[in-house]
Amino acid sequence: MSWFSGSRPQPQAPEPKESLKHRSLALPQLLRGLHPEAHPSVLDLGMAVGPNLEFLSAYSCRVRIVDLYRSLLAEPTESREPGAFPALLARLLPLEAGEHFDIILAWDLLNYLRADQTTALMTWLTPACSARTIVFALISTQRQIPNAPLRYRILDEQHMAWEGAAVATRPSPRFTQLQMQRMTPGFSVKSSYILRNGIQECLLQMGQQRGVAKAVAVASPRRVVVR
Amino acid sequence: MWNKREEEQLNAGRPAGAVQPPPSVEPRHEVSVNPGPGAAIGPSISIVGELTGEEDLTIHGKVEGTIQVPKHTVTIGRTAKVTADIRAKAVSVEGEVRGNLQAAEQILIRKTATMLGNLAAPRVGLEDGCRFKGSVDMESSSTPAPRAAGAHETPARPADAAPKPVTITPLKQEPAAAARQ
Repeated sequence: MSWFSGSRPQPQAPEPKESLKHRSLALPQLLRGLHPEAHPSVLDLGMAVGPNLEFLSAYSCRVRIVDLYRSLLAEPTESREPGAFPALLARLLPLEAGEHFDIILAWDLLNYLRADQTTALMTWLTPACSARTIVFALISTQRQIPNAPLRYRILDEQHMAWEGAAVATRPSPRFTQLQMQRMTPGFSVKSSYILRNGIQECLLQMGQQRGVAKAVAVASPRRVVVR
Repeated sequence: MWNKREEEQLNAGRPAGAVQPPPSVEPRHEVSVNPGPGAAIGPSISIVGELTGEEDLTIHGKVEGTIQVPKHTVTIGRTAKVTADIRAKAVSVEGEVRGNLQAAEQILIRKTATMLGNLAAPRVGLEDGCRFKGSVDMESSSTPAPRAAGAHETPARPADAAPKPVTITPLKQEPAAAARQ
């Protein structure tokens, strides 16, 4: 496995790029909590995606973008070890005094972090979160996942599309809900939607009762290839 | 290569024995932005200090300090390396910028850009492929974007080396050119 504890992945031949549209069940719930008059603050831990920015601007959001996966890849392996990881996070994702996030878009990043790294990340972000902060995470339910996080694009209030190398090349951690709870101290799974395209959409919220998600649904999103 | 007819046309009106100009040489740096009207800082130019102006500005070189052209457009070309806070009407970035951008109208981060810093403008566009780390505030352009710690670290300069402001003034139009307009 080439997690962040391992060596940097070797460059490979260009993989075919795809874009797949699916109906998201968590996104509408996530957006319901956004009130434009409150100028919500969003932390996007994925790649900078123009359409997402445009979409969130309709909610008067202030968006902070930190492509954490690629930032971590650029760092030496030893700095990603458990002991050094919090210090690395402090450097890559510095938090201002009083900084607060209403929404954290983790996308599929957690699939690419070790459990201890996810715990360190959530612990680091906790001071910038409140009881109304929601973390949006996409957990793979497939056996394998692409070598790097995909690029997710919000199409509208109910639809998203992923783009990038779709060829699965590394094993998926396939986190269970219990594992997710353990990895994210202080947070609990508010809602979880298992989609038939191999993605489990999770909404994590701070300080909720541990153990039971409010809603668990199995949906069969329409798979439409976006060309 | 010139063909004969083109050569004759080119030579028409040229005094006999005049030395032919050397063939045009390709520029060393490809500049992807049309400079258009306004000032341009070439690829070999480095400026440290405060840049203010009353015309559009295109940067292909290195600039360190601050850039203020509040009523005009700033274009950061592909070859440019800018470590500065920029305040302008509109900003387009194709090169490398470390600093906070504030625009009254819009900011566009092109796919070739590497942008580390915060953006504040009513409209912000990020092209696919750009490298961006920072925050985006599309709510208000009147207040400067708060700086994320570590997102932009301008190198410290000694106090005695404090740069003097550089003011860009538009060139006066020649009477003939003015008359044509």
